[in-house]
Amino acid sequence: MHNDARNFVALSDVAIADADLRSAVALATTRAYDKRMVALFEHSPAYGEAIRQQAAEAKRRALRNLPDLLEKAESSLTANGFHVSWAIDAAEARQRVLDIIRQHQGRLISKSKSMLTEEIGLNAALEAADLQVIETDLGEFIIQLNNEPPSHIIAPVIHKTKAQIRDIFVRELNMTPTDDAGEMVAFARQTLREYFVGADVGISGANFIIAETGSLCLVMNEGNGRMCTSLPNVHIALVGIEKVIETLEDYATLDQVLTRSGTGQKLTVYTNIINGPRRGGESDGPEHVHVIFVDNGRSDVYATKYAEALACIRCGACQNACPVYRNVGGHSYGWVYGGPIGAVLTPLLEGLENAAPLPHASSLCGSCKQVCPVDIDLPRMLLDLRADLVDEKVDNRWQMGLKGWALTMQSPMRYELGAQAARLGQRVVGTDNLPGVLGNWTKYRDFPGFAPKSFRQMWRERERSHRKEQPS
Amino acid sequence: MSSRDVILKRLRKAAQPFQDVPPRTEHMAMVPDAPQTPDDLQSRFVAEAEAVGCTVYCVTSQEDAVTHLLEILREHDSILSWHESHLPISGFCEALQSQGKTIADPAATDVRVGITGADAALAVTGSLVLQSGTGKYRLTSLLPDLHIALVKASQIVPDFETWIAQQREDHLSAFSESSNTIIITGPSKTADIAQELILGAHGPKQVHIVLLTSA
Repeated sequence: MHNDARNFVALSDVAIADADLRSAVALATTRAYDKRMVALFEHSPAYGEAIRQQAAEAKRRALRNLPDLLEKAESSLTANGFHVSWAIDAAEARQRVLDIIRQHQGRLISKSKSMLTEEIGLNAALEAADLQVIETDLGEFIIQLNNEPPSHIIAPVIHKTKAQIRDIFVRELNMTPTDDAGEMVAFARQTLREYFVGADVGISGANFIIAETGSLCLVMNEGNGRMCTSLPNVHIALVGIEKVIETLEDYATLDQVLTRSGTGQKLTVYTNIINGPRRGGESDGPEHVHVIFVDNGRSDVYATKYAEALACIRCGACQNACPVYRNVGGHSYGWVYGGPIGAVLTPLLEGLENAAPLPHASSLCGSCKQVCPVDIDLPRMLLDLRADLVDEKVDNRWQMGLKGWALTMQSPMRYELGAQAARLGQRVVGTDNLPGVLGNWTKYRDFPGFAPKSFRQMWRERERSHRKEQPS
Repeated sequence: MSSRDVILKRLRKAAQPFQDVPPRTEHMAMVPDAPQTPDDLQSRFVAEAEAVGCTVYCVTSQEDAVTHLLEILREHDSILSWHESHLPISGFCEALQSQGKTIADPAATDVRVGITGADAALAVTGSLVLQSGTGKYRLTSLLPDLHIALVKASQIVPDFETWIAQQREDHLSAFSESSNTIIITGPSKTADIAQELILGAHGPKQVHIVLLTSA
């Protein structure tokens, strides 16, 4: 996917001016945040916290032994009949998918929601190869019709109001206009049904891969993910290498903190555990199931102090909790992942120089760490990324400013000259709209004017008048 | 070198992260006070299943179950169903035929009602666990508007964690013998349009559970 993270500030300005977006995002994020609080701590805050630590440890144990665990997963998956392959980057992942589709002469592809496929720009590659690919999660279907990327990890169309969604259906699919959400859902259900039944290939991501049993796990509410993994004869799952976990017990914990943190549900409507292609005697389910382990920058992150970011289970709770995300929405972050986890992942996966504003897109209030079901220290990583920005001289304006400040403060003469220059400047341009980088301050805040006379000036005048009054 | 080997080599070259994470000692269940006695299991299951939008009928005999089923099926002539050997009631197919109803091809995509059994039920989440297998079709609980599950009260276990413990005792055969384990918690739903909860997004709009309490 195209990365526009460098334009975070400009994109945020647009989002903040969009009243529909702000009310839609505020409604959805606050509601999800409240539901999470109830679901995760229904027994007691202490027990909820202990479960959160259990989940955090499960994910970190898996990451600690990641290379061994991946090999174990590969052998269990293969024993269950999956075809396992690997892709080092986005281009290779896209090519592997295309190869599998061609091998089975696929034409129509039904796709279940996957952030990884957004990361690697899969849909564009499939369309360029003359294949028809239909996003089947309702939210994803709507934004595909509107030619937009998702703006939230689990609620892709969180930024649109009901009226906007109605207009998209009317414009793109000639839906009879209605303001009833139920009728819109019924319309989408009917429209998508024929794609589900007609698809040759289904594509999904994975929430988890259980290494010990060789299972691929997907959580969902709508059931589209079951359709994509049950009806076509070929199922391809693209899986980030960080998705592998050790045991079924770990799965029980992680799956339940995922659903409780994401939507406040004890379990999603469907907990879909796929153990390979249809077995002898089974009359439905795909005959070919492929798992593609995708690296795309993850093994580089693994070797850094940011390895913790790989523990993310993509629940979206940090987005719902973040005061910045709540105001600017997901698209402002310019790439696949918005919110606090996006502000960390985008620089790590796309390069710090291509996402320089994002580590600063946080007030460091700490809510993201507090709500994270696997206790990822997002504020720590945001701070470290800010330090990297300085060390790697990606953005040296701050450093230059401090250097100038230090230079000025080290000499009384330079200090006084600087102060005089500031007062002079104030007379010329005022303090309502400061020029250049200083304008970032006055755009949203007052800048109190300089006193007409400095303390030094007043002191000198006082000394002079004293001397006049008391001639020696 | 293949991509696989490059990825694994890179990961092995890195300093191992999270060395201070302790080994797992005990495993806490998500819900600490799960019910244990048969009565508590049943009442909790019914309450939770209803809370997520299922309709539950408690019946005390096979005859009652068949009567209830026929009542639910009154306006349906064609029915998807798991093979009778996987349903906890007998004489069901004969009863259907006597009413002039037919069991459709399991691959039919336009039938509006599907009947399944269940392999287990989870009390604290009100969930049904269905394993695919011969005569246990995946699509029966997915394509129709109405899914009817026939469950014996003795199949209710406290929670997901207990079900997993049972699978372990059973040498995890469910994960090698079935291509799909689906845990169903309520009817299909979506809140993607402006946070309004709508039932029946892509899967069944209604889930009816016929719970045999004496079987």
